[in-house]
Amino acid sequence: MLEIKPIFNALCRSKVGAVLLLIQIAITTAIVSNAAFIIQDRISYLNQETGYPEQDIFKFNVMTFGTDINLSQQFELDESMLRKMPGVVDAALSSSIPLSGGGSASSFNLKPAPQEGLSVRTAYFFIDDHAINTYGVNLIAGRNFTEDEVLVTNEITQKRTNVTIVTKALLDELYPDGDGLGKIVYFGDLPLKIIGVIGKMKGPWLKDSKPDNLAFIPYIKAASYAQVAVRTKPGQRAAVMKEIENAMLENYSKRVINNIKGLDELKNEYTAQDRLMMRMLIVLITILVLITALGIFGLTLFNISKRTKQIGTRRALGARKSAIVSYFLVENALICSLGLALGVVTAILLGKMLMQYFSVAALPPSYIAVTAIAVFLMSLLAVLAPAKRAANISPSIATRTI
Amino acid sequence: MLQMNNVSKVYQTEMVQTHALRDFNLQVNEGEFIAVTGPSGSGKTTFLNIAGMLEPFNEGEYLLDGVNVGSLNDNQRADLRNQKIGFIFQGFNLIPDLNLYENIEVPLRYRGIKANERKRRIEQCLEQVGLASRAKHLPQQLSGGQQQRVAIARALAGKPRFLLADEPTGNLDSLMARQVMELLEQINRDGATIVMVTHDSELARRAPRNIQVVDGQLADFTLYQGAQTIKTASGV
Repeated sequence: MLEIKPIFNALCRSKVGAVLLLIQIAITTAIVSNAAFIIQDRISYLNQETGYPEQDIFKFNVMTFGTDINLSQQFELDESMLRKMPGVVDAALSSSIPLSGGGSASSFNLKPAPQEGLSVRTAYFFIDDHAINTYGVNLIAGRNFTEDEVLVTNEITQKRTNVTIVTKALLDELYPDGDGLGKIVYFGDLPLKIIGVIGKMKGPWLKDSKPDNLAFIPYIKAASYAQVAVRTKPGQRAAVMKEIENAMLENYSKRVINNIKGLDELKNEYTAQDRLMMRMLIVLITILVLITALGIFGLTLFNISKRTKQIGTRRALGARKSAIVSYFLVENALICSLGLALGVVTAILLGKMLMQYFSVAALPPSYIAVTAIAVFLMSLLAVLAPAKRAANISPSIATRTI
Repeated sequence: MLQMNNVSKVYQTEMVQTHALRDFNLQVNEGEFIAVTGPSGSGKTTFLNIAGMLEPFNEGEYLLDGVNVGSLNDNQRADLRNQKIGFIFQGFNLIPDLNLYENIEVPLRYRGIKANERKRRIEQCLEQVGLASRAKHLPQQLSGGQQQRVAIARALAGKPRFLLADEPTGNLDSLMARQVMELLEQINRDGATIVMVTHDSELARRAPRNIQVVDGQLADFTLYQGAQTIKTASGV
């Protein structure tokens, strides 16, 4: 038997504790639903498909101080040595490394500078015909560079490169009608023919507004500082990484090999702040929910000690133990329902504010609904133990003077 | 109506055993009005608690309206309390957050009585105790005597055949005490059996039958019938 009306009336007559709890439940609902959404957003950001077999790729830096060699030739030798190493699938000099947070970006234009036309921002790598294989990405249309198309130099030269391979995201933005393959785009005033399309690969910056726009340009300018990307067979990366320094120095010793890092490690370093924020949010909402649960628990215990005689009297007047438990559950459910109603409104307003000031995506109603249900269940759970304790109060309390 | 045979109650703490009632025997017949007196600590309240099924006893047999109380579980005892017994407490024990109407409604709700029947009974009982116009008041807005009348109305609303009163006038001044006593006498005349625990010998003398509890046993059995006094030794 649910005594909703008298419980509600009684609550209205002594409402301070109930109102405080109600506000706490409202705040919890508002913050938890928004935080849960942000956490979910971060999780999908962190777990997003990058297009690379991250576990199999690593990079290292080469800083050459020896001046008794032709750098371009040396890198040709290095590359062919690396590609022959046991466990290595492919290797390539790469002007930037994906997911690392460092790289170059420019604009691809439909018309040569300085003419005005559609201009799309994109990251780009100077890399040779081993790029696709080294990064393990999928060419979905067109073809790879040929060896002849790769311009290798360590001098200023008049020769120009004239082809490019782009991601589908970039191609679709340049040519929304889907007819971009084979067309010419301008990199400054340099015309480049789009000869290949890669399905998915992320650029150097996951946080970029256009993280999927990336272009390969077949140009190797050998310099004393260079980065090399290597893909190994699955499970063999660690072994290759261990040997890489000696192998490179054996080839030529007047240089330093350092910063040997896996692609997943680079991504982790790049996303460290996001993971920290996510963990902080998880801690925050856990604490918040715990505090609310403790608040409900505490208020119910307080109510029980305040109403010991009343509970004894109710038992004396014929209340079964279950009636006492249901009294506290109903009382809590009433407070909680009002708190949740207020919390839902606050959650929507908070979501709108976050959207306005921090450009967070709109909070989906499902997050509010799930949070509200969870908070409601949590509150029932928190009140259950104290309510059972109340039910065990002896009816003989009614005749004692306390 | 009520029969206790060799009922014993022992309170056990780590250090001591206290025999609150020992081999307590009592028979209360339908329609009686009994005053239970005795010095403090004699076991009056324990007797009242056991009679009202507010606490269990250790040994003996207790029959309430033919039902063996010792064999009931907690829910059955709660239901039996609700149906058969009306309680009147020394401290009134009204629920402060409920108005008079809602207070009287409490035992009726536990019995599952329908709303319109509850309303009819509550209004009738409030009328009977002379507080019909104050149904929406909260207990703290009333005097002590008025609060006790509400408590009596609450005890009556369930139409119990057995009223247990624990020092019903203990917190009242003499004028109010008299009014409450007159109300109880009226209720008794209407047919309810009343057992009243009191330490006030004046008040006790107004009851047709007096019993005295000393050291957990029925010590003295006195029946007042007009001017004639019959003393019967029992127990010790």
